[in-house]
Amino acid sequence: MSPTSGTGTNTQGRERQQRSTGSSRRRFLVGGAAAGATALGGCLGGLTGSDGGDGTVTVGYVLPFSGTYSLLGESIVNGFEMYVDQNDGQLGGRDVEYVQRDTEANTDRGVSITREMLIEEGADVLVGPVSSAVAIAMMQTVETEGSAIWLNANAGDYRVVQDGCLDYHFRTSFNDWQTSAPMAQYVYDEIADNVMLAYADYAFGQNSKNFFSEAFQEAGGEVVGEVGVPLGSDDYSPYLGEIEDSGADAVFSFFAGSDAVNYITQFSDFGLDDQLTQTGSGFLLSEDTLPAQGEAALGKYSLLHYTPSKQTDRNQTFVSNYQDAHDSRPNVYAVQGYDSAQAFDAAVSDVDGTNPDDLADSLSGMELDSPRGDFQFHPETNDPIQSMDVRQVVESDGEVPVDNEVVTTIEEPEIPTWGCSL
Amino acid sequence: MVDATTIVRATLLGLQLGMTLALVAAGLTLIFGMLDVINFAHGALYMLGAYFGVVAASELGSFWAALVVAPLLVAIVGGAIEILSLRPLYGRNPLYHILLTFGFAIMIEGIVVEVWGGQSYRIPVPEALSGTLSYGSLSYPVYWMFVLVVSTILIGGIWLAIAKSDLGILIRASAHDTEMVDALGVDVSKVFTGVVVFGAALAGVAGVLLGASRSVNPGMGFGVIIQAFVIVVIGGLGSFKGAVYGALLIGLMTAYGALIAPSLTDLFIFALMAVVLIAKPSGLFGATEAA
Repeated sequence: MSPTSGTGTNTQGRERQQRSTGSSRRRFLVGGAAAGATALGGCLGGLTGSDGGDGTVTVGYVLPFSGTYSLLGESIVNGFEMYVDQNDGQLGGRDVEYVQRDTEANTDRGVSITREMLIEEGADVLVGPVSSAVAIAMMQTVETEGSAIWLNANAGDYRVVQDGCLDYHFRTSFNDWQTSAPMAQYVYDEIADNVMLAYADYAFGQNSKNFFSEAFQEAGGEVVGEVGVPLGSDDYSPYLGEIEDSGADAVFSFFAGSDAVNYITQFSDFGLDDQLTQTGSGFLLSEDTLPAQGEAALGKYSLLHYTPSKQTDRNQTFVSNYQDAHDSRPNVYAVQGYDSAQAFDAAVSDVDGTNPDDLADSLSGMELDSPRGDFQFHPETNDPIQSMDVRQVVESDGEVPVDNEVVTTIEEPEIPTWGCSL
Repeated sequence: MVDATTIVRATLLGLQLGMTLALVAAGLTLIFGMLDVINFAHGALYMLGAYFGVVAASELGSFWAALVVAPLLVAIVGGAIEILSLRPLYGRNPLYHILLTFGFAIMIEGIVVEVWGGQSYRIPVPEALSGTLSYGSLSYPVYWMFVLVVSTILIGGIWLAIAKSDLGILIRASAHDTEMVDALGVDVSKVFTGVVVFGAALAGVAGVLLGASRSVNPGMGFGVIIQAFVIVVIGGLGSFKGAVYGALLIGLMTAYGALIAPSLTDLFIFALMAVVLIAKPSGLFGATEAA
């Protein structure tokens, strides 16, 4: 009797968000074992680090499915499940069972969900979260339980690695140094030797502008000033005035989501395009903001590890598959979900089991062929070593009138390790 | 650091922000003044206005059509809410209305996420209103100026109507002494429905106007309802004049706050509300206990 099967039946009635895709053979087993397993499943769940032979794997989504970040959570799930579907519903030759909980991007929820996934549901792998604050709150629990691999499919704050430095934590996404600092040299060489910084005033925005600022000054450039805007601001006009008055030739920004839409459109409405070149982290001008930004985004530069319009065979196949499945182009989050599934599949096949220590050994330093380009988990930090695309927004004849075009690719910039040495 | 251009630009922004907030706060305060209902769904109606505006602008291909059609649709939703759910609860403990309208706010947000998803949209600014106005070193988008002018005209018109017209007198009388007006042979329930429909339409207008200069997203209703409540509390619950002055005060504070201490702006606004409540519990223009 597999305890994992037991927890599966046990939770189906309790958690309406859960979806289960077991084979009929597995269902048969579950049926036979259901009576005993339902009672015991809750207690035994934590012991299911390895279920040997040809059992199932349990994937626990620790993601937001409601509120501001719901789009990100859904995209990660879409990417992950697309990979699984392409592989006959299996990961590492095992059937997959999903457990889904809504973190609501709330740190307390994130921690309790993590505990529940690890202890009661016997998850073999955690996928998520979106928010770095949630990730930092989860670290302790993941380390203490030591019963599952954690594939961080978004949270990019460098402190998840600096403070945590966990064996079980692997980032299939990025860190905030990668989405800002590598652009400094390009901006200095190609755009301007002085910049203004503008950022959403919270941890991720501050990290991004600090990393860029350091790298830009190292390259020989001058940072003439900075302006922090409260997260979720609707009107950027006073801050735009400050940017204009700074006299800088370029501005480097970090804003995301609806903030990015408001900032970019107002930047253009106020006529700042004539005076400064807008550059920034890729979240500023991405799949989820470009449709609303429209022509205001034209000509602006940004840096990210994934660009849907990237002209490689691997990516174009991925994009057309995703489009067939979801009727929309994949965004960066979907790729991060897809690569999480890819990494876990490879690791489970490699060790032929789900023992988290074996999986961590296998994943450490593993190389993956991703739609974003090749990437490798850094042997010391488990962060992804990857290439970064500098993109510029150009007119497009697609559904959306504007699109990112890759201007140049910065080949695998060497990432800091922040004292983490696994 | 802060020169004249910056101050003029911030003042324009503050006035524009204040006037659009007044459109939302006016509906909220009129509905409270008449019906004694604290309408938590008002922010959601503003959001609906913006989403309807996005759809109308793309289907009809015209911003101007959207500016007319979207508020009408929001007014219908507001009317339906009043007739089907608020009306049976008049005279009950205000808590019933608060819970009911809060429920509507959550439902509307849920429906919006279900229909339009979590991403941001924007209503395209019409060709005639794009570009910037320049005066010396000051530049200001034409569209933002248009929003300031339109909302000022609307608010001014409503103010005049309430103060001078027969309908205004009827509305004020119904708010003041419902039973007496009822006894005089006026169907007060129609007046009530009319006020809710009108308040909803104003919120819809604000949604469309701001949906072209800001992103349209599922969180926008909640953000605006908090500000509108602060405005109504500062101005005095039920007072139209109070809502307009309160909105201008908050708009200008937000704009100037961004120049001085961006991260503290919200704190200033709530501190102002606290001070007003301590010094004058009924708000700046609120009715006194005797009334």
